[in-house]
Amino acid sequence: MSSADSILTQLQTSALGHAISKSHHLVGAGLQIVHVVAFMLLLASLVLISLRLLGLAFRHQPLQHVARDATRLIWLGLALTIISGSLMFIASPKLYFHNSAFALKMLLLLAAVFVQLTLVRKVAHSTMPHAVFTRASVSIALLLWFGVAFAGRIIGFI
Amino acid sequence: MSAILALAEKIEQTPIGAAIAESRYAFPIIEGVHLIGLAVSVGLIFITDLRLIGLLFRQVPVQDILRQLRPFVLAGFMAVFVSGGLLFWAEAATVLASPAFPFKMVFIAFAGCNALYFELVIARRADMQGPGDVLPRAAKLAGSASLVLWSLVIIFGRLIPYLPRWS
Repeated sequence: MSSADSILTQLQTSALGHAISKSHHLVGAGLQIVHVVAFMLLLASLVLISLRLLGLAFRHQPLQHVARDATRLIWLGLALTIISGSLMFIASPKLYFHNSAFALKMLLLLAAVFVQLTLVRKVAHSTMPHAVFTRASVSIALLLWFGVAFAGRIIGFI
Repeated sequence: MSAILALAEKIEQTPIGAAIAESRYAFPIIEGVHLIGLAVSVGLIFITDLRLIGLLFRQVPVQDILRQLRPFVLAGFMAVFVSGGLLFWAEAATVLASPAFPFKMVFIAFAGCNALYFELVIARRADMQGPGDVLPRAAKLAGSASLVLWSLVIIFGRLIPYLPRWS
């Protein structure tokens, strides 16, 4: 047994993992509902900021008026998705770990967070961002986030 | 009920319904589109609701939020309705057998009526045209109702596979 598998087994047989996987199946459904709603808040807030950065909406609003509350929602959404997602993972770690759509989702998530915190943040913080750089960074970040949703939805079909 | 189920089975067995259900890629891809469309449309509606209730984006005038987000909300809904229609086409009988599905449809209808009443009546009131520091009670109520109703739509939608039969 590889070391990854032994860690996964330990997770699965941990008290928390056991509690979730042996609970009523509607507990799992509840976790999924929290995961979906939190992800919708996260994605919609990202779309909101992206529209402002691209100049497709709120062009006459100062960026801060849109970005401040949207950033709060993004962190709230991210926190809730990570918590609910981790609980789902702990309940059946082997199922997720060996699922190619799950691996793709995690890669896309890392890439999305990276692009968001580097390129998009740079756009948001500069007073006169270059138009092409703005369009490219914001579009790449959004596409990566959509990819996270897509790969996540496909996990159950593999 | 049996007549409806018979009709649903006929819908599933049409060439398009069967093609989607049997394709290895079509079904998951349509599910992905359904989720992303939902995040854009209902996600932006949640943001609008939070503005109406007065919890977030208070510096942005209400009419700006409504007008500027409308095209993207509608585009998201187009994706949701088309993908949802295709999913129903492929598994009409399975979906109808779940009590969660009719509940989801009823809450969509309620949420739609609430949105229409808000757009046609509440949003056009004189006290809704200002910067919106203080919004009328009706706007807060409509925002809260929208938040609750769309949440119920999501909840019952996700429950469809978990509550597979009526009994």
